[in-house]
Amino acid sequence: MTTSSELNMPEIAMAEKEAGKWGMVIDQDICTGCQACVAACAMENNIAFVGEEDSGYGRAMHWIRIERFWEGEYPEVKMTNQQPMMCQQCGSAPCEPVCPAFATVHSMAESLNLQVYNRCVGTRYCANNCPYQVRAFNWRDYKRPEPLPNQLNPDVTVRRVGVMEKCTFCIQRIFKAQDQAKAEGREVMDGEFTTACAQACPASAIVFGRVDDPQSLVSQLKERSGGKTHLKELGTLPNVTYFNGG
Amino acid sequence: MIKKIFDWLKQPLGLIAVGIVFLAVFSAAAYGIYLTQQAPEQPVPEFPHQTHVAFGIQCLYCHPGASKGPAAGLPSQSKCWACHNQIQKTVDSAKLAPLKDAVINGESLEWIPVAIVPDFVQFNHRAHIAAGRNCEECHGDMSKVTIAENPQVMNMGWCLDCHIEAAGEDQEKLIKLSDCGTCHY
Ligand code: HEC
Ligand code: HEC
Ligand code: HEC
Ligand code: HEC
Ligand code: HEC
Repeated sequence: MTTSSELNMPEIAMAEKEAGKWGMVIDQDICTGCQACVAACAMENNIAFVGEEDSGYGRAMHWIRIERFWEGEYPEVKMTNQQPMMCQQCGSAPCEPVCPAFATVHSMAESLNLQVYNRCVGTRYCANNCPYQVRAFNWRDYKRPEPLPNQLNPDVTVRRVGVMEKCTFCIQRIFKAQDQAKAEGREVMDGEFTTACAQACPASAIVFGRVDDPQSLVSQLKERSGGKTHLKELGTLPNVTYFNGG
Repeated sequence: MIKKIFDWLKQPLGLIAVGIVFLAVFSAAAYGIYLTQQAPEQPVPEFPHQTHVAFGIQCLYCHPGASKGPAAGLPSQSKCWACHNQIQKTVDSAKLAPLKDAVINGESLEWIPVAIVPDFVQFNHRAHIAAGRNCEECHGDMSKVTIAENPQVMNMGWCLDCHIEAAGEDQEKLIKLSDCGTCHY
């Protein structure tokens, strides 16, 4: 097998050894499945509305979705807890090595998976290789009827047709908070800012913060027993921890 | 049929016609490119940067956002009016008529930015001013220009050249300043 060093290519970070920088804890026991996070995410990140027809083809675009599962046989079916699912910001992400254009790369500075929209050529390999199925593809240039363009978030690129997109952990908010903190000559405080989904959650089922800081709320919640990461057996090192039935 | 056309084109008159068509297309293209290189028409067409800078007005007085946030901002007419309603020249100068009209009619001056990066690039003035960079390094010497034109191509290589140089030996800074996520999201 040819490795990147034999090809004399610059070393591109694919995998991390330790815990990432930013992380999330989701408590499914208090999630009511109200979809406020889904709406907040769409507003914050300029996500297109695909309309009825394309939605029917399974082309709906969401960076976060609420999954429901059922247990048992009819008529004794029981619904399990709601499960918010978004990009798990894997430390060792399956989407990254398959991109032929290096459009989805690992941010070494923020330990996040990046999607460089202007680099993306739309091969959709990354989405096919994502075990969590959380990537969304722009199948068309979806029109925003007036006055919707007025609510576009200026800090986030408006994506065009043929571009893959996914949850960024609200990287624009991360940078805004870091910039603000730098201007004031201090470090970013825990809880100073959060992602749109966590901010909108009425039950506070989603908590976001620094997982490399043992003092942060998210680290302390994560340390409780019973937390699990999805598809752990794949070795993707996700940065989202779920609590269910605890 | 096609042979007939070719035969006609090969005679002298045909060759001249081909030449004229070629020249027309070429000059249209050249004119199109020339138009993209022109500074756009501004609401106050002859706003003299150099005069104002020469008075010692700070850049940050008219572009205050540069030290606070991502965008430097272009001044509104109330900022101009604070000085100009006390200046005699405002009454009789034709160059200042657009400003006067805007104030009287309560319309805003809609400056057209010329220093721009594409929508998918997130530039931040504050970080650069805080790192001690001068406006001149990126915008040229504004004390010599009338209406602003962009003196250089603000492409990715230009950003990265300076970022690599600014990071120097500091590996952590280099990673941060060359990370795709720093500029594209
Ligand atoms: C700090 C005060 C100040 C501010 C703010 C200011 N100006 Fe001026 N401006 C002057 C002075 C002083 C002159 C020179 C008048 C003279 O030559 O007698 C001048 C000259 C001009 C002239 C040239 C007039 C001529 O006939 O030569 C124009 C045009 C002009 N200003 C437009 C503007 C606009 C537009 C703004 C707002 C973006 C603005 N100015 C803001 C003080 C100011
Ligand atoms: C009196 C107010 C005033 C002062 C002082 C001033 N500017 Fe401006 N500046 C303007 C106005 C008005 C425009 C918009 C018209 C234009 O494009 O020329 C502008 C435009 C610009 C632009 C072009 C931005 C764009 O995309 O249109 C740059 C760059 C700029 N100024 C830099 C500077 C620098 C650097 C200084 C200090 C040396 C400075 N300005 C001082 C009023 C001012
Ligand atoms: C590191 C390079 C750099 C420095 C230093 C810099 N600028 Fe800029 N400036 C830019 C770039 C790049 C843009 C285009 C930004 C965009 O399109 O979002 C810009 C845009 C502008 C604009 C246009 C409109 C706007 O609101 O963004 C103005 C005005 C401006 N700069 C003024 C200044 C002034 C005044 C200073 C000094 C205090 C300064 N700049 C320092 C790179 C620089
Ligand atoms: C003249 C040199 C220079 C140019 C040109 C330049 N930069 Fe910078 N940039 C710097 C310096 C210096 C810093 C601050 C590094 C630090 O934090 O100490 C910086 C920081 C930044 C940051 C903030 C990083 C952080 O720490 O959050 C962003 C974003 C950025 N630059 C984007 C751009 C973009 C986009 C361009 C091109 C349009 C550009 N820069 C062009 C010198 C430059
Ligand atoms: C310092 C800021 C900065 C960084 C870091 C950066 N870029 Fe860029 N990039 C830019 C700017 C500015 C442009 C716009 C160039 C132009 O206008 O011609 C650009 C343009 C591009 C384009 C061209 C898009 C087009 O349609 O013309 C691609 C592709 C791209 N960047 C990919 C990347 C990738 C991949 C990375 C990470 C390895 C990266 N960039 C890192 C500033 C940056």
